[in-house]
Amino acid sequence: MSFKRWTAARRSVQAAVILLLGSPLVGQSFFNGNLAAADLMGLPLVDPLAATQAVLASRIVVPAFLVSASAVALFYFLVGGRTFCAWICPVYLLTEAGDALRRRTGLAGRTAPLATKKWLLLIVLCVTVVTGLPLFEILSPIGMFARAVAYGGYLAISCLIGIVLVEVVLSRRIWCRSLCPLGGFYSLLGRYSPTRVWFTPSRCTACGACARICPVEEVLEPSLGRGELRVVSGDCTRCGACVDICPHRALTMKSFARH
Amino acid sequence: MSEREQNGNSGCTRRQFLKGGVGVPLAMALAGGMVTVPFLKRADARGFYLRPPGAVDEKRFLGACIRCGKCVNVCPYDSIKLAGPDAGVSIGTPVIRPREEPCYLCPDLPCARACPSGALDSGLQEIEKVRMGTAVIVDRENCLSLRGLRCEVCYSNCPLIDKAITIEARHNERTGVHSIMEPVIHREKCVGCGICEKTCVREKPVIVVQKTPPKLEDHYEF
Repeated sequence: MSFKRWTAARRSVQAAVILLLGSPLVGQSFFNGNLAAADLMGLPLVDPLAATQAVLASRIVVPAFLVSASAVALFYFLVGGRTFCAWICPVYLLTEAGDALRRRTGLAGRTAPLATKKWLLLIVLCVTVVTGLPLFEILSPIGMFARAVAYGGYLAISCLIGIVLVEVVLSRRIWCRSLCPLGGFYSLLGRYSPTRVWFTPSRCTACGACARICPVEEVLEPSLGRGELRVVSGDCTRCGACVDICPHRALTMKSFARH
Repeated sequence: MSEREQNGNSGCTRRQFLKGGVGVPLAMALAGGMVTVPFLKRADARGFYLRPPGAVDEKRFLGACIRCGKCVNVCPYDSIKLAGPDAGVSIGTPVIRPREEPCYLCPDLPCARACPSGALDSGLQEIEKVRMGTAVIVDRENCLSLRGLRCEVCYSNCPLIDKAITIEARHNERTGVHSIMEPVIHREKCVGCGICEKTCVREKPVIVVQKTPPKLEDHYEF
């Protein structure tokens, strides 16, 4: 399996997202907004976490806004939750770049625990309720990335360089694995999502290639080790890297599969 | 591996849990607090940000605005800008800097209609009901009209001419023979679009849009 089917598809989607974020520069009309909220060919899309914060902070309820946010949440639930991270989020692309850079330099291989981002999600929501400010929309590097692409600005760009640097010297993929509250939110959806990576134990030779390429290798280990037939954890980003790398086709991505 | 298996389903020892699940988030919360406290800045040096038409009151606006930039992109005059990092908690929110480009009050208010979250009231229909702020002559000494010249540029450019700004003539005591044609702003009509501020001929505008002062409840009879 030399052609990396999932990775190729994912790279195309990631590139399309960057182009869409930059599209205000050329003044087109089919996309307007960023990853917090946007109109894509007339379809109103809203980040469910941004909507949650806006409602908690302002107590203004716009029904159409909540409908869009729920539809987007349902979509991500169906396709796997953190699918957003691996396929859409531009910051994930940055930490992937940082990861590649780190592997060349051989620095900072350690990782931080995955669960931290759920605690940070809780903190963000509490701060939002108390201060009346949508904390994550203010601090989010995802918003900064979108603004950097669409409008430039040296501070936004230097923040993005900062993310890559932290990635290289501090801890492997620390933002995406452990810190991002949006990732924490989507990992809650992904825990119960019908789209998962499944194993065929009879084909597995325990070569470990999948665990080496996985950005959140903790999710594979208990499943492989304990004979589970699928990845249980919501932290799986459904990036498909393990499916692509497995030399024996022991892994597949399936939706609504029974076994 | 074996240690993990003995710990049942969670795959996590107590030490790991305390460190990863409690210690790290606590440290992060402290660090985050230190980052955010100086960040809690709401207004610019003028005391407020001029928001696009239909904006709800500033406190709720800051909560409801999700910094998506849709209003910025639909503004046909590029009047709406995104606030930068110097704006503190207002980073990424839409602002109008009238001296650069004021709001020209599009009849269909595309910015308010583009707002998904209700930070700008998309139900706003009438231009005359817009209340972004209130124009104030802040520097009477430098106002050409008040000095006795026939300037009145703010008056003649006001989209609500003779409603929001009127000219009141009075005797010019200094020359004794001329009139002073004073531009008078009527707070109850002014929408705060900033066209007067943009068109003021002085190097530094003598008429600027400010936050609309609250209506005071009092018992005076006028």
